Amino acid sequence: MRMPKVAMGLLLSVAAVTALSAQAVSRTTASAAIPRMADGRPDLQGIWQARSRAAYDVEDHPARFGIPAGRSVVDTITIPYQPWAAMKQRENFEQRAKADPLVECFLPGVPRIMYMEHPFQIFQMRDAVAMTFEWQQVFRLIYTNGTGPSTPLQFWMGDSRGRWDGDTFVVDVTNHNDRTWFDMAGNFHSDALHVLERYTMLDADTIRYQATIEDPKVFTRPWTITVPLARQREMGRVLEYQCRAEMEEAKGDFKADPRTWYQDGSAPVPPLPSEPRSTTAAAPQGQIPRTADGKPEISGFTEADAGGANWGFEPHNEPFTPGGRGVLVDPKTGGLPYQPWARAEKQDRTTPGRGYDDPTAHCFAGGVPRSLYVPSPFYIIQTPAYVVILLERMSWRIIPLDGRAHLPDTIRLWQGDSLGRWDRDTLVVETKNLNGKTWLNEVGDVISHAATVIERFTPVSASLMQYEATVNDPVVFTRPWTIAMPLKRNPKGELLEVACLEDNQDLLHLKDVKERGIQ
Amino acid sequence: MVAIGVICLWSATASAHHSFTAEFDINKPVKMSGTITMVRWSNPHGWIYIDVKGDDGKVVNWAFETAAANALYRRGTRPEDFPVGTQVTIDGFLARNGTPTATSGKLMFADGRAITIGAGAVAGEQK
Repeated sequence: MRMPKVAMGLLLSVAAVTALSAQAVSRTTASAAIPRMADGRPDLQGIWQARSRAAYDVEDHPARFGIPAGRSVVDTITIPYQPWAAMKQRENFEQRAKADPLVECFLPGVPRIMYMEHPFQIFQMRDAVAMTFEWQQVFRLIYTNGTGPSTPLQFWMGDSRGRWDGDTFVVDVTNHNDRTWFDMAGNFHSDALHVLERYTMLDADTIRYQATIEDPKVFTRPWTITVPLARQREMGRVLEYQCRAEMEEAKGDFKADPRTWYQDGSAPVPPLPSEPRSTTAAAPQGQIPRTADGKPEISGFTEADAGGANWGFEPHNEPFTPGGRGVLVDPKTGGLPYQPWARAEKQDRTTPGRGYDDPTAHCFAGGVPRSLYVPSPFYIIQTPAYVVILLERMSWRIIPLDGRAHLPDTIRLWQGDSLGRWDRDTLVVETKNLNGKTWLNEVGDVISHAATVIERFTPVSASLMQYEATVNDPVVFTRPWTIAMPLKRNPKGELLEVACLEDNQDLLHLKDVKERGIQ
Repeated sequence: MVAIGVICLWSATASAHHSFTAEFDINKPVKMSGTITMVRWSNPHGWIYIDVKGDDGKVVNWAFETAAANALYRRGTRPEDFPVGTQVTIDGFLARNGTPTATSGKLMFADGRAITIGAGAVAGEQK
C-alpha cells in the first residue's frame, strides 16, 4: 500500500513516541527492581560484558576485514579533535596493525578496558569496588573511602576513586599515561586525560556505562561515550585470556616443559597420600575484626613477610640474592621431597641459561602459591560470596565461597581454579587446574599441572594473618609439603600498578645469555 | 672511567621478577662516573643511562638497571631526583651478555649525597 510521505512520517513518529514511553515505563518499573546492597546502594556485582562495537572504533565506521561495522557511541558523533590530533589519529589508524598498544598486550587503559569484548566481574565493598577482567587478568581497584590520588605517578589504568551520586556510581579516573588508545582505530589521548565515569543500573541485567573524556591537549571540548553493559548470567566465572603468554607461546618465544604442563588428554594423576592438616597458627591475640556475617575480616592491603621464599624455601644466604629465614615447615628436615628427575631439573634451572625460562621473567602470572610471596603487595576484596586477591603485578585470583565444583580438567589456568570455604576462623582455599607452566620461585623449584594446593589464611590479630600453603604434586614430589609465613595488613597501604611488560629489557638480556650459552 | 673494585656482599633485588644471577655477573663489580642522559621510570625495573668517558677518550652510553618504579617511590625516591645532565657515580655489576649494561647499587652525586637506586638487598637481608 502506498502512503503519502507526511502520513507515513506521522505514523512513524507516533510509533516512536509509543515505543519511547513503553521504554520509559519499563525503566521506571525496572529501576525499582535493581538489586541493592544492605546499605541501599545499587548492587553492581556480577559478570558483565559490553554490548557494543566500540572496541573496534568508538566512532561510526564501515566494515573492514576483521572489523564489523558499527555506530558511534560518542555524544558528538565524531570526536572533537584539535586539528593536529585529527591528523595524528589518521596516522595511528594507518599504523594500527603495529602501533595499537594491545598488539604488545599492554594494559588497555580506561575507558577502553570497559568495552573490549571480554567479560569482567564486579565486586563491591564499602571502601572499594573491584573489577577483574578476563583480558590479560587486568583489574581495577576503585577506592570508595573518600580519598583522592595518593601519588603523582602515571599508570596505564589510571588512578580510580569512586563515590555515589544517588543511584549512580561515579568514578574519577586520573594519573593516566599517554600510551593507551580508546579503540583499535587509533583514537588517542595525552597524559592530560581525565575520565569521569558514571555507572547506572537500568534494570537488574543492564548497566548504562558513560565516560566523559576531557583532555585539553588533544580535544576542543569534553565528549562522552555511552555503552550498555549486559549481565552474563550463564557465565559462572571469568576465566583467563593471558594475551602475552598466548602470543609468546604461539611464536615459540616461550616453551613450556612437557614434563610439567597439562596437555589435552593428560590422564588425571592420583594425589599423594596425605595426613589431614590443620593450621599451625597461634591462637588469636585479642579480638579479631569481623564482617557483618561474623566471618573474620581479612580485606585490604596486605604484604607477605615472605622469608625470602622467592629465592628458596629453605634457609639461604647466598650472595647476590636476598637471604631468607626458610619457610618450609613440613618436612622439617631434608628440604623439598623431590622425585629424582625433578631435583635434577631444579638444579639445572639455577644455571644462567635457564633464567629466561622462568615465566615471571616474561611478566606472566606467578601462579599459586608464588603470587603471594613474589614479593609484591596485594589487596584482598572480601564479600559474603567471594574472596578476591588483586596482585600488584597486575593479575588476580577470584575465590568463590559458594561450594561449587572445580572446572573441568581440560580448562587449565595460570592462576588455577581456586575454591574457598571458612573452617571456623580459617579461610581454606583449594586450587586445582593449574597449567603446570609456572615455577615456584626464581631458583627454579618445580610444580606441575597435577598439583593440588591447599592454602590456609588464619587471622591472629587485627593486623596479622598466618598463611600456609600445602602442595600435593604427585608428578614432582614423593610426599606433600607445606610452607608458612605471616601476612601483614596495612589499612593505609595502596597498590601501585606494576605494568611489567612496559619496559622488560631484562628478558632480552636473558635471551642473549640463553642463546649464546654464556656462563 | 671504568674502575673494577671490590664491592662486598651487596646485592640484588627485593622486587625482582627475574633471576639476577642469570642476567648479571657477581664476579664483575663496576663503579662508573658519567653524565645522566636519560631516566626511564618504569617496570619491571627502571633504568638510568649515563655517558661514560673511557681511558681511550671514547664516550659510551651505559645502562644501569634500578629497582622497579614502585619500589623507588615507596623508598621516597622521585623521578625528578635525577635530572638529565647531572654528574653521578654509580656502582653495580656487569651484565653477562657483554653489552654496556649493569645492575646498580648506589648512585652518588658530586656533592657526596648517595641514594640506593638498586633493587638492593644486602646479601643475608631477609625479604
